[in-house]
Amino acid sequence: MSAVWRAARAAVRRRRLQTTVIGIVVGLSSMLIVVGLALVGATFGPFDQAYTQQQGAHLVASFDGGKATGAALADSAHRSGVSAAAGPFGQATVEMTIAPDQPRMVMTVVGRDRPDTAVDKVHVWQGRWVAGPGEIVIDAEPTADPPSRLDTVTLGDGRTVKVVGFAYTVSHSAQAWVSSEEMRALRPTTQQMLYRFTAAATAAEISAGQAAVTAGMPAGALLGTQSYLTLRANAELSAGIFVPFLMIFGCFGLVVAVLIVANVISGAVVAGLRHIGVLKALGFTPNQVMAVYLTMVLLPTVAAAVLGTILGNVLAMTVLSSAFFESYGAGAFHVAPWVTITALLGVPVLVGLTALLSSVRARRLSAVEAISAGSAPRRGRGLLVQRWLGGTRLPRAVSLGVGLPLARPARSALTSAAVLLGVAGVTVAIGLSGSVTAYVDADTRADAVQVEVRPARGGPTLGDQADESMLRALPGAERVVARKELTMRWIGGPGPAEVRFYRGSDAGYEMLKGRWPTAAGEVAVSSRFLTQSGLALGGTFTLEGDGGRLPVRVVGEVLMGAAEPVLANWATLTRMAPGSRADAYEVKLAAGADDSAYVAAVTAGDPGLRARPTRVPGSVIAAIYSTITVLTLLLGAVAALGVFNTVVLNVRERRRDLGTLKSIGMTPRQVVLMMVTSMAALGLAGGLAGIPIGVVFQRYAMNAIAHAAQIVIPDHMLDLYSAPIVVLLVLAGAVIAAAGAFLPSRSAARLTIADALRTE
Amino acid sequence: MYGGRRPCTLCGMTEDKNVVRLQDVRKEYGDTTALDGVNLEIRAGEAVAVMGPSGCGKSTLLNMVAGLDRPTSGTVVVQGEDLGELNETRRALFRRHRIGMVFQFFNLLDDLPALDNVALAAQLVGTPARQARARALELLGELGVADRRNLYPATLSGGERQRVAVARALMNRPALLLADEPTGALDSRSGEQVMDLLLDLNQIGQTLLIVTHDQRLADRCASRVVELADGRVIRERALERTA
Repeated sequence: MSAVWRAARAAVRRRRLQTTVIGIVVGLSSMLIVVGLALVGATFGPFDQAYTQQQGAHLVASFDGGKATGAALADSAHRSGVSAAAGPFGQATVEMTIAPDQPRMVMTVVGRDRPDTAVDKVHVWQGRWVAGPGEIVIDAEPTADPPSRLDTVTLGDGRTVKVVGFAYTVSHSAQAWVSSEEMRALRPTTQQMLYRFTAAATAAEISAGQAAVTAGMPAGALLGTQSYLTLRANAELSAGIFVPFLMIFGCFGLVVAVLIVANVISGAVVAGLRHIGVLKALGFTPNQVMAVYLTMVLLPTVAAAVLGTILGNVLAMTVLSSAFFESYGAGAFHVAPWVTITALLGVPVLVGLTALLSSVRARRLSAVEAISAGSAPRRGRGLLVQRWLGGTRLPRAVSLGVGLPLARPARSALTSAAVLLGVAGVTVAIGLSGSVTAYVDADTRADAVQVEVRPARGGPTLGDQADESMLRALPGAERVVARKELTMRWIGGPGPAEVRFYRGSDAGYEMLKGRWPTAAGEVAVSSRFLTQSGLALGGTFTLEGDGGRLPVRVVGEVLMGAAEPVLANWATLTRMAPGSRADAYEVKLAAGADDSAYVAAVTAGDPGLRARPTRVPGSVIAAIYSTITVLTLLLGAVAALGVFNTVVLNVRERRRDLGTLKSIGMTPRQVVLMMVTSMAALGLAGGLAGIPIGVVFQRYAMNAIAHAAQIVIPDHMLDLYSAPIVVLLVLAGAVIAAAGAFLPSRSAARLTIADALRTE
Repeated sequence: MYGGRRPCTLCGMTEDKNVVRLQDVRKEYGDTTALDGVNLEIRAGEAVAVMGPSGCGKSTLLNMVAGLDRPTSGTVVVQGEDLGELNETRRALFRRHRIGMVFQFFNLLDDLPALDNVALAAQLVGTPARQARARALELLGELGVADRRNLYPATLSGGERQRVAVARALMNRPALLLADEPTGALDSRSGEQVMDLLLDLNQIGQTLLIVTHDQRLADRCASRVVELADGRVIRERALERTA
């Protein structure tokens, strides 16, 4: 065993606390780096990753079974440019009823005997795949709260088939699957083919692939296609909501980790100057001394980096799955290998470089200088400020604490920067949570609609007006608005328009511009509707229903998220479909009213009505909250650990001063106060600087989210930082710092004076 | 002046003439016995020098009297306070009010000028800064280093640093001044000055306990010498101070 190795091992054993601190910081930093890089990586390719994992189809093609023969379809799989294909599968459009009280639905059903074909490996996330006739698998996005039992569905011809599983295809190739034998019974007229192409990055390449597979087929054989580029564009809309804040937290995490690692290592080197001097005095060459020091630092670093990277992978998977669960399903993500490799190699290299840079100074010092580095009087720093502090009315323990960071300005700056980013993270988190909550509340009209009432199977027993009167008269009702939804043709528009007609007030929609429609022929629409249609307030378009055509004028822009319905009042409905009855009632309850009691009272009042509370938290929102919470806690913990490390180093360096102060009567409480104050001062400074940075990033994130989702977020949903919140955020910096400082301060207070003074 | 005659009004000195009483004090560090049944009494106004070879337990004895360390067994009573029964905070308060300490390596805070180093001891008690600085300046003047008040320890000579350290030790008018090798890190001229200073202090009534290797210091300042070996008191002798 070499002298260097022996000396390094002995140094590690002797510096257990320092080794532990290095280990914890490097471990947590590696975790944060893995999570951060994984998030940044996920930003650029969650859809592609999921698509690759499921071998998603670049082109889903539907062929007329009468014109495209099975042989021709099989042959299309071998055309130039096709890298993989699956099919042909029988495809039928089937009417079915999933639940007795649900309306009939028209679904695209495909006959497939296995989920894991060469293209479009369907992810069965609940139950199993079909094994034969009489069974069906329903396409549904994975959910954290899967259905507790599998039921049957009734097909249009009256037969029932058992639901044996729920599955998800990122290719959106079908809405349900049955066995090929079952499909034959449905007499399919359409055949589905799934293709992957060697080149599919652009629409032109997809078109070229499509041309290749359909070449030679009779005209009209191809009924329809779906390009994955279209799905990708839609998916990016959803992922885009996550991207901004994932980017922010990922980058914050990386910077904090780097700051803390630099702080720990440079501090460890400074604290070890004396040790270096002793080694030199014993005959170690400068390079051997550096080798000892690097080994001493790298031993815990490598171990912690490995452990941190493993834990970081686990955490990143959890966060990513949570964030993109709804879009791509559980298990759709893995952390890219480059992320793991970067953390495994990058962190130890970064630590090693920092240690190397720091120890260059020690290398240059003579043995005598190094040995005396800890005991000879040194020229202090920030002397004028410290002197001024000594003359203030502050308790001396506090004024000493406030002046302490000045002694090590670089270390204090690194620590303050870590706290700054921690506070900025908390600021962003609070702002984002508040903005998202405010937006979702406004979008779902959480304050305006607590119960929705719809006719049950069999229909209501009372008339429309009588039901509305009854609902209004029930205890707890504050406002009842009747609603009717119609799908109408939008003349000149890109497709049908879903129109909601309201009887009563504005139904709690937040008006962004203009006013609520009050007369026949007036409508209000969402920002996205205006953007996509090119219309502006005052613009007109024409709707056509069974009752004829009606030109309507846009009089208001309302806040709406995902859907783009057109909102109109009852007078317009009377023009379009006279005599219609409401198909839903939206009820606002009085403050403190019990929604379940109201729901029960509705059924008692009219057994033909079904009421349900509307407050169901969305999984995307839950994912956003959980992601924000995890990342904020992690950032806060790492920042606090940075402070912990700084105090440990300060205590180590100032053992003699602490012993002196205690010897002249400083009480343990005063010692804790002094050390905690020293960091709280940094925390306050970091907090003050972190808040504006956090606000800027919150604005950026919300604007980016709004841009991605094509929505407008009113200013009042962004300006959430009231004076009490700002005060709390400033205090958050002090709290992070004080929390990190408390334990090492307590250990400083317990320092045995005789031992401390003996270190000289 | 230094206030050596007035500690009773500040720190509640009892009528007991013995400022220090050690009874069968034993201190062990693992398998090592640093003090082995030490008995010692120091009366008010006395100057006692503890001498002996390295490792004999001198500094341990001083630490016991200062309340910096606890005995493994036996009792240490200083001004009527049984230090073994005080918790950490009470011992800090005890040191603050009743003990002044001077160290071989001065132990001044490098970030504070001489004046603030001295004033610190009073400020920890809660004395307002202006008042504390005024008294610190008075003490520095008495010790002949008032003109160095704004200098930082790194720029002071060894003797000046030790004078500042003595001023700090006297700041709260302690009943007992403890000095651990006070001339150990000084050149002979500075050492002489510190010896004179300690002698002066004792002559105006300040009780002193000095741990030293320096026979000249003991001869010059102490009225009694206690010799330790292997943690035991092997001899005590009264001295006629040399001029």
